[in-house]
Amino acid sequence: MTKLFFATDIHGSDICWIKFLNAGKFYEADVLILGGDMTGKAVVPVVHQGGKNYRMTLLEQSFNITTDEELQDMTKRVRSRGYYPYLTTPDEISELEKNPERVSEIFNQEVLKVVQQWMELADKKLEGTSLKVYCSPGNDDMDQVDDIIRSSRRVVLVEGQVTPLDSHHEMVASGWSNRTPWDTHREEDEDQLEVRYEAMMSQLKDPRNAVFNIHVPPYKSGLDEAPELDKDLRPVLAGQSLKPVGSTALRKVIEKYQPLLSLHGHIHEGRGSTRIGKTLCINPGSMYEQGTLLGAIVKLGSNKIENYVLTSG
Amino acid sequence: MTNLFVRKATGLVRSWSVFDAFVYALFSINLITLGLYSFSQMYYFGGGLIPALIVSALFIFFEVVVYAALIAVMPRSGGDYVWQSRILGGAVGFILAVTGWWFILWLWVPLYGDMFRHIVLVPLLGVLGARDLALWFAGTNNGSFVAALITLTIVSIFIALGMKTYARIQKFSFYGGMLGLFIVITLLLTGSPEAFRAGFDANATSMFGAQPGVYEATATLGTGAGAALPLVGGGLGLIFLTLPYLVFFNLWPNWGATLYGEVRGATDFKRNIAGMGSALLVTTLLGMLLLYAIGRTIGWDFYVQSGAAWWNYAWGFTTEAPAFPVWPYPALFASFLTSSRVLQFIVIALMSLWWFGWSGTVFLSSTRVIFAAAFDRLLPEKVAEVDERTGTPIYALLMMVLPSIVVSYLFSYNIANFRSLTLASTLVIAVTYLGTTIAAIVLPYVKPDLYNASPIAKYKILGIPLITVAGLIFGGFLVFLLYQWILDPNALYGIGYSINEAGYKNGTSIIYMLANYALAALIYFGFKSYRKRSGIDLDKVHSEIPVE
Repeated sequence: MTKLFFATDIHGSDICWIKFLNAGKFYEADVLILGGDMTGKAVVPVVHQGGKNYRMTLLEQSFNITTDEELQDMTKRVRSRGYYPYLTTPDEISELEKNPERVSEIFNQEVLKVVQQWMELADKKLEGTSLKVYCSPGNDDMDQVDDIIRSSRRVVLVEGQVTPLDSHHEMVASGWSNRTPWDTHREEDEDQLEVRYEAMMSQLKDPRNAVFNIHVPPYKSGLDEAPELDKDLRPVLAGQSLKPVGSTALRKVIEKYQPLLSLHGHIHEGRGSTRIGKTLCINPGSMYEQGTLLGAIVKLGSNKIENYVLTSG
Repeated sequence: MTNLFVRKATGLVRSWSVFDAFVYALFSINLITLGLYSFSQMYYFGGGLIPALIVSALFIFFEVVVYAALIAVMPRSGGDYVWQSRILGGAVGFILAVTGWWFILWLWVPLYGDMFRHIVLVPLLGVLGARDLALWFAGTNNGSFVAALITLTIVSIFIALGMKTYARIQKFSFYGGMLGLFIVITLLLTGSPEAFRAGFDANATSMFGAQPGVYEATATLGTGAGAALPLVGGGLGLIFLTLPYLVFFNLWPNWGATLYGEVRGATDFKRNIAGMGSALLVTTLLGMLLLYAIGRTIGWDFYVQSGAAWWNYAWGFTTEAPAFPVWPYPALFASFLTSSRVLQFIVIALMSLWWFGWSGTVFLSSTRVIFAAAFDRLLPEKVAEVDERTGTPIYALLMMVLPSIVVSYLFSYNIANFRSLTLASTLVIAVTYLGTTIAAIVLPYVKPDLYNASPIAKYKILGIPLITVAGLIFGGFLVFLLYQWILDPNALYGIGYSINEAGYKNGTSIIYMLANYALAALIYFGFKSYRKRSGIDLDKVHSEIPVE
């Protein structure tokens, strides 16, 4: 039977991507599934000061770079947190501060460049192996990411599709989420989400042996508890007040189809597992900024989950 | 100049309010529940209470720095369990986390219950004229046990209501409790010793049926019991010996810290220190003010004597019942300065909020640890189940409630001298903190990549990372506390195996604490072996995947 490894929300972290590609061998998994939100959230300007000198600020710490080695080291440090270093000049920075559209362009350019590098790395590392790698971008990932994944020889884009995992199990996948306060790339209202989900799930041959790979967790599953925010996006009550933010549409379809397994992400602090009826639902969480790849290993049996465990790699 | 371009992406939130963090930490080092409860028990110490408060706060500030630093390196990761597991190994992390954040909370339940009856039930019933019921709760083993059961019920309801609702209850309790404390301090600062003595004699008699001359009788009993605790002075050595008892009250400003959000820079690190540190500072200052106000009007000697008279009897050192038949609660004493039953009720009710805003913490942390252990397959999957209708973690709650009932029974009826275990509740958590502190000390050296990529990497003292320096200071303090508790060379704490000939060798305490650790080890190694047989190597699933 198939042993799958699932991870999600690695948000641009090179370390997590390499660990993800190595996870198949490490955990002896047959299938690797990345649940979405591959792309990072911030670009860090590395500002040229003349010669080999650069200046940058990371996590509110200023760094003066004076050698090529230091530049390489700082670039690696920025990338390890999932941020994108951008070599620039003081003049360009002044220009960018007045031109948000250009900032957006740079953002896309840096993000897509890294996704392209990741796909090339995957093609190289997985060459000659039988490992299957599936990926469905999440709500934070821009549309252009899909085309880059499609260009990969070893990573399969599974957004919106029914994908056979083995002779008994099929997988449906979607990175779309319900509405968030951030107005991200792939989010929509619950009724539209339900239509999206139904379009995939109605094609399943055996829903009860299916795997749902849906980025957003189901509503009130315990996997969707996030700090409550005020109107300024500030956590209220020092983050002690948690509230469910998952999808009601997803919960509805899980209750209806009762798949064997449902894999989620989106809420980084929602690490855990739960059951909705007969369905095992898992959100492995995310600690991408620390370079830790959180994940889940699941051994699929016929009509049952043979075994599962959350991992911290 | 622009340092960072951030796009719209899920989870990018602004910093949480320092004030909110302050409120949560302030309730965790709760002056009215933990503070007054421990002050009254410390009647026989020789170190001044006010200097002891200051010295303990100085050391505990380094605890704040250690935890704020760990949060900065590994935010929202699950706290002590994850920090220790990743730095010191899975077995250490599991054993210290479940003992410190779960098992020992069983012992805290009767302590919360004891504070509930003394701070909420008894004074409210007394003011409302239900004298017999008040005395039943105050002075009987059955009353103690029922108070623990009510406590269990209330905190279970808090769990069922969820964090969102409970966080609001806490905020309301903060404002109400602060108003109550303001009234209490005002009453004490505007009253006179003569008015208090008259009010005490009158109210003790009318409210609780004490015999005339109760003030004098209480003072005599307290003196005979060895009341000695000074408000100030006492010498540095005696002040340090007071600390292992005092930290029962103030070792916890970090209690909710592991939930604090993503740290994106030095500013957020400082905000964490500000939230917890300001709570420590304000609580210490409020404590000093309250103690001064107590000394001014109630009279410091009488306050200590009343505590001595109560605990000397409660702990079984005398068969002579205290003349004042309820726990000497300063807010109740302050209410005796007014003859208005309405004002008395308002004061006691408002001060009760200090208990309600704090009590939910006893299970909230435990349920998180139980869930984390279940997700790591170190407990059955079932224990992480949540009832779909009520949202209550039924099995996790039962794993807290059922053992707590047994421990509350042992405590309430003082079976095998269980009431002597009060400080063991602090010792076991201090051991957990020591594990975390050691993890913090070595973090920059054993996980340099993780540390160097964090916002605290730039903070150094004489070239040594701040987290290491703060860890060494706080760790040294914890080692001092553990030495005093366990070997008790001056026969002061009664929860260890005293090396002093006159000291107490508390077999119940030692067996109880060791049983906690043995149970944790049994669960860890038992489940690890069981999972391995079913194809899951728990060592491997928590090992770092090579980056090559």
